[in-house]
Amino acid sequence: MYDELTFEQCNHSKDPIVSCALEGVAGVIAGIKDASIVIHSPQGCAATVNAAYDTHEVDFTRRKIGCTRLFESDVIMGASDKLKRLIKEADQTFGNKVIFVIGTCAADIIGEDLEGICRDMESEVNAKLIPIMAGGFRGNSYDGLDLGLNSLLPFIKKSDVKIEKSVNIIAPQGNINPTWWADLDWVKDILNTLGIKVQTVLAKDISIDDLEKAGMASANIILSHDVGYQFAEEMRETHGVPLILDDIPLPVGLKNTSKWLRRLGEYFSVSEKVEEIIKKGEEKVMTILRRRALMMIPRYHNCRIALSADATMGIALVRMLFEELEMIPEIILIRSDTPEGRKLLDQELKDLGLSSKVAFGIDGYQIKETLKNSGVDAVLGSAWEKYMAEEVGVKIAFDVLTPTNMDVYVDKAYFGYDGMLNVLEVIANDWERAYRSKEIDLEGYV
Amino acid sequence: MAITAENIEFHGTLSELYQLAKEGKIKTSLQGSHTRACKFWTATKILSGIKNAVILTHGPSGCAYGVKQAYKLTNCRNSGAAYEPIISTNIGEKNVIYGGEKELIGALKEVDKKYKPDVIFVATSCATGIIGDNVDEIMDNMEPELNAKLMSIHCEGFSGEYRSGFDLVFKQIVKLMDKPTEESKAAMLDTVNIVGGKMGAERTEVDTDVKELVRLIKGMGAKINSVIAGNCTLEEIKKAPSVAVNCGLCLDIGYAIGKSMEEEYGTPINSTILPYGIAATEKWIMGAAKYLKMEESAKALMEREYEAIKEEFEESKKVLKDKIAIVEGHDAVKSLSIAHMLKSDFGMRPIIFNFHPWSTEARQTSIDYLLETGLDPEILITKGTLAFGKYESMKQTEDELLDFLGGIDPKSVVYFGSSLSFPNIPLVDLNAILNRPRFGYRGALKVAKCINTALKYSFRPRSSVFKEMVFPKEEAGLASGQALTPKLSQDLPDCTVYAHKRRRGQCMMN
Repeated sequence: MYDELTFEQCNHSKDPIVSCALEGVAGVIAGIKDASIVIHSPQGCAATVNAAYDTHEVDFTRRKIGCTRLFESDVIMGASDKLKRLIKEADQTFGNKVIFVIGTCAADIIGEDLEGICRDMESEVNAKLIPIMAGGFRGNSYDGLDLGLNSLLPFIKKSDVKIEKSVNIIAPQGNINPTWWADLDWVKDILNTLGIKVQTVLAKDISIDDLEKAGMASANIILSHDVGYQFAEEMRETHGVPLILDDIPLPVGLKNTSKWLRRLGEYFSVSEKVEEIIKKGEEKVMTILRRRALMMIPRYHNCRIALSADATMGIALVRMLFEELEMIPEIILIRSDTPEGRKLLDQELKDLGLSSKVAFGIDGYQIKETLKNSGVDAVLGSAWEKYMAEEVGVKIAFDVLTPTNMDVYVDKAYFGYDGMLNVLEVIANDWERAYRSKEIDLEGYV
Repeated sequence: MAITAENIEFHGTLSELYQLAKEGKIKTSLQGSHTRACKFWTATKILSGIKNAVILTHGPSGCAYGVKQAYKLTNCRNSGAAYEPIISTNIGEKNVIYGGEKELIGALKEVDKKYKPDVIFVATSCATGIIGDNVDEIMDNMEPELNAKLMSIHCEGFSGEYRSGFDLVFKQIVKLMDKPTEESKAAMLDTVNIVGGKMGAERTEVDTDVKELVRLIKGMGAKINSVIAGNCTLEEIKKAPSVAVNCGLCLDIGYAIGKSMEEEYGTPINSTILPYGIAATEKWIMGAAKYLKMEESAKALMEREYEAIKEEFEESKKVLKDKIAIVEGHDAVKSLSIAHMLKSDFGMRPIIFNFHPWSTEARQTSIDYLLETGLDPEILITKGTLAFGKYESMKQTEDELLDFLGGIDPKSVVYFGSSLSFPNIPLVDLNAILNRPRFGYRGALKVAKCINTALKYSFRPRSSVFKEMVFPKEEAGLASGQALTPKLSQDLPDCTVYAHKRRRGQCMMN
């Protein structure tokens, strides 16, 4: 059972470390091929949409974004004509199959009729128009990812025929591995090796056709513990596609990976092949790590660590840190706050016999305050945590998660066996750079 | 092949372009694919440069998050500054219906207790602006209860163009200042402020350019009270009007605060174009020296400084004289300043290429100054500049540039712009050397070094790897628009917004 942290003076003021619903919605759309996006908003919101495209590293040549650049008079008088003109311009210039028409705070509050405008315009443009209202006040970017996913539901066609041994992969972008698509690729490779077809990835590099066929899958797997549950539930109710593997952590570290793979193997009756993958993977990890034993065991053994992450990576990392690296995850801070995430972390901590201090839906102030008073030896998180750690005197900070200051050229999975090595490589390098003995302040020790 | 008339939107002088824009004869709005930062972003950018002040954004969390990751996180990385928050009242759907005033009151109390700031700036967003929360009344009522000073900044994203946020905040900051007294003025006779600075995304600006200007001021025997708003304190701001003179860092945004301080407190302003090159730097130094009564020591300083860079500077001057300089016009203020330098210092014929007509409004101050001082550079705007679509526009302008150069003797022309362009002539990218200021004498030396190196190695063809990274053979290329920062700075919320989720070689400077 976890010990939930409480914070004073935090009921009305938040120092946000996640963006608004608009970024989440755009983060789903960025995963759809041959689509452009028209934002009905003041121009600043275009930066938020671009940030979502950045999280996919969408190629510059394929960023087809237009913005109505609303100003005061538009807000007072309405700006439907401006939007219509922009939709036409985007249709003619970009020539994409689909245009997502997104309203942000201003358009949302003044009540622009996006659906009506899109309906009226359908006959005048070549692209299919899909309106989504995504005022930033509708929630944070996790809520936005859910909003974006849910907006895809009407396009999924009903199918009585299910393809045996096939899965949809949901919300791979709900993951703060800076190259999260490498985790998706690992999952796809595994499924491929096991003879399980990937039906549709919701949403990364898919077409509208792919989306329409998502109802034919025989199961859904969510690659996030922060988002996607509502969508999966709708898929179950409407299309009869069950959600699997949602009650265990994602495959980070040896134990979580083997558990995840075995559960997958059992579900699709491919356990024998799974055992081969596990054997090969564990051997590889052991061969490599044995060479580094002296640089790891004495350093990591009983290192008291704070973990600041999303639920996806946060929950998945705990077991590896505690059981495999012998670190003590005394503090676990999670960016999102969902009942599913809470339940799973609780279950995981109980199983490990840990009573870590935990907080959900945390902000910058809470992370810094927690680190300040923590007495931990190290923190694992993003660049935010690294800077805060430096300020509050936590010497060792592992910059593993988004937003990171690492320059990663070759995509790196964190899931699976190579993934574990990738995480450990960052930890090892950051550890190596954390101390120089000349920096140790002996006066500071009493 | 030379460029054809049908590909030219405008070719003439800056004054002619300015006139056309004023008469509404040329389109000055940005195309919908070429958004810039909104008023909220530009306002909070300036506010980010005030120490021990908290920006409380009244709105949904996204606006606060966006500017925090762009300005604060980048600042942590670039300057080693401590982590700083940007607070949001985090309003949701209920607040949009019933109002967010309770949230604001609660947040003000919490921020005052949590952070103990000198000032709390409440920045309004689109959502709270439209629902009409009475921010000013709340703040008036709350101020006696709190330790911090309160100031509202009405910077809803829809309520003004890009630069209106800069101007608004600089004007508001003036209200925090103490009226000068004879005593305070006497104590600061030898002191200046540098105004129009900002902390945040730009790696070089505060680190090197401001430091160079500070070095020059000190070199003539004067002192600096404050760089407003480049990591300044409330205490410095209060004393600011008593200095001998305000020196503009960026003419364009420094002018707004300089002018307000002049009107309000009579503080003189030394406003010149960006001190790129020797002529502009000397004007900047002498403009300050006049009010400091340090003309003699300023002249001695200028001689000393010039002596140190003379050799390399004169070498580049020899090879550039009478040549044509194509100056990339994506960053309007910078391109005008560089054109000024190339003409005044090097005797070149600058042509500013693809200066967006939008800049005639957005950068009015700089343009007025340039025209008043008798400089009226040649401007060429091709159709691609106004084309819809970011990549589409960039590709088209690149083709047009190559066409334009096709009609000129390649030995007679040098390109001053981003190395993300690939013209087949010597290219001088003034961003190509880090850790060296662009302003002042050392900046002039940097310019000379860039020119000399570019010319010396112009025999090497441009890298096919680099070229394909920017202009792919097939539809695949740069992973992020942010990688194109210097070339397409008008597309981005600010000059260098790359901190967020950075992982690949995105541009480190602008």
